Amino acid sequence: MLKMENVTKLYRTGLVETRALRDFSLVVEEGEFVTITGPSGSGKTTFLNVAGLLDAFEEGKYWLDGLDVSRHTDRDMSRIRNEKIGFIFQSFNLIPDLNVFDNVDVPLRYRRLPAKERRERIERAVAQVGLTSRLRHFPSQLSGGQQQRVAIARVLAGDPKLILADEPTGNLDSGMAREIMDLLDEINHGGATVVMVTHNSEYAARAHRRLHIADGRLVDLERITPLPLNRLTGEARQAAVPAG
Amino acid sequence: MLTYNLRLAWHSVKRNPMLTALIVTGIALGVGVATPALTTIHVLGQDPIPQRSGVLHYVRMDSWDPAVPYPGRGGIPTQITYRDMREIMKSRIPVRQTADFQAALYVYPGDRRQRPSRETVRMAFSDFFPMFDVPLRYGSGWDKAADAKPEAVVVINDDLNIRLFGGGNSVGRIVRIADRDFRVVGVLAPWRPRTLFYDPTNSGGQPESIFMPFNWIEPMEIRSNGQRDGWKSMEGNPTYVERLHGSETVFLQMWVDLPDPTRARAYHEFLDAYVREQKKFGRFQRPLDNRVTSLSSLLAEWQAVGPIFKAIATISVLFLIVASLNLIGLFLGKFLARAPVVGIRRALGASRASIFLQHLIECELVGLIGGALGLLISVGVLSLLNKGSERLTHRPDLFQLDVTMVLAAFLLSLAAGAIAGIYPAWRICSIPPAQHLKNQ
Repeated sequence: MLKMENVTKLYRTGLVETRALRDFSLVVEEGEFVTITGPSGSGKTTFLNVAGLLDAFEEGKYWLDGLDVSRHTDRDMSRIRNEKIGFIFQSFNLIPDLNVFDNVDVPLRYRRLPAKERRERIERAVAQVGLTSRLRHFPSQLSGGQQQRVAIARVLAGDPKLILADEPTGNLDSGMAREIMDLLDEINHGGATVVMVTHNSEYAARAHRRLHIADGRLVDLERITPLPLNRLTGEARQAAVPAG
Repeated sequence: MLTYNLRLAWHSVKRNPMLTALIVTGIALGVGVATPALTTIHVLGQDPIPQRSGVLHYVRMDSWDPAVPYPGRGGIPTQITYRDMREIMKSRIPVRQTADFQAALYVYPGDRRQRPSRETVRMAFSDFFPMFDVPLRYGSGWDKAADAKPEAVVVINDDLNIRLFGGGNSVGRIVRIADRDFRVVGVLAPWRPRTLFYDPTNSGGQPESIFMPFNWIEPMEIRSNGQRDGWKSMEGNPTYVERLHGSETVFLQMWVDLPDPTRARAYHEFLDAYVREQKKFGRFQRPLDNRVTSLSSLLAEWQAVGPIFKAIATISVLFLIVASLNLIGLFLGKFLARAPVVGIRRALGASRASIFLQHLIECELVGLIGGALGLLISVGVLSLLNKGSERLTHRPDLFQLDVTMVLAAFLLSLAAGAIAGIYPAWRICSIPPAQHLKNQ
């Protein structure tokens, strides 16, 4: 689903150059649930940004769903983001002056789907996260957990192949967090690939694999549970090796 | 996507009402200044009779003092003499032709209790009506027989018709002008051309109350009420008619209808031949200079829109541009404050182009709101302008917004929105999405 080869990402501030990712190589198979841990500033979010085509990188190659996305126009990248990738953020990232319906509608608008199909997708996704009664509520009228569920509904409505979650439980109490993790599990069981950055070792342990990033490199990789056979491709059997 | 972007724009406009009001006011002032200035140019520069301005030709001949050139614009007399008019009217080259001038005569109402009134009179030939597409509500102009005799017939305007007869079809009724009775053969429909285009010496006025066969000039000894220029006095003590036939005073406007270039060329040659002939008798001692100018060229030549109006319009448009440039900062601040939301949209699949378009549409929406307010300001400014210029133009409503000017104001608003919004929209869409999200 996702394959990076020797990806390097630099940040320049004045004369200072910071390598946020160094020769970063990774393969994530279709249907996998991978968690990424690492200390603050280790490059986890940078990795998610690069993987989500939100940020460019200087060196290396990146294939997403078999497509080389290393160098593309902004329009193509946006289309790929819209159709193949779903984001879940720690701070939910809902648009404050849009209600639940309209927030979930945003990615579908950019996909230019007909109104009827958009409505059906939105209602289905919101029902899936149990917020049908809150369809016309604004984010400020929802709890943190509900807001994160709306963010997940927004992902579900777009039906992406890859979900990138950046500490999705970071701002939630443990009860809410567990609910969100259950939802992510459910989405993963539905066939979507999930890559999640987390500090929580309990949630990290729920993945098929746990990766550890330090200083912009993938330093450790732990297979926790085998990938279900029906979702394992031939390539997946060749273990993804951390670079360096 | 346009309706979606408009909806987003409307949300944004409502979110910051104070900021929006500030931007709208800036654009409204710019449009409110630029639109009246452009309206003035538009009104003054408008072809008053576009369907005929190519075929109507104005005739000028340099019969002026051999020692000193004519001091007015163009360097030759604006009008012609009576004696030359009598001769050149014999030409059969023009399809139609008329000489005319403005006079002022007393009209005595049938009801003796009413006071006589001094009315403006256009002395003209019968071709005047079809040549200038004069709109008649009742009856018609007079015919060539009435020109020749002349017959005691007149055409009156709608206003005089109301004053004398209370309105309605007054064809056949009698109106006493000076010491004679005239039969009304036609009543004008309301006719308020923006300029008195058939009288280049009196462009600020309005059509006369009465139109009378030209040839009454001699029996009634009618004098011009308009511009008269002379350079040579007559010897002795001539009668009025002798003066008319012998004077070098120019007071007549001469119009000919020349529908094609061949006729125009032929008529010009005819005039040249006439002047050469006259030179033999000691007249027209200045270099041969006859001009047969179409109405459209005449308007351009005499610059219906003076340079001062053009300068004012240019300055007012510059004012709008400067006002719009000043709004760039406000839009930029507004957009950058919203960077996190842009980041979310980018993450969800919005391309740079769609973010640019979304923000530009917001600027255009604000521009249009400002433009609508600017139009209201323009109406006020034009009303003041009309009040101020009424004494010169004799019209309380000369400068008005028409469809073209409303459209122009609409385009100005869009331009103002674009000037103010393109850079901020470009800035907000150029920031990498990851950077926007970092601001969350």
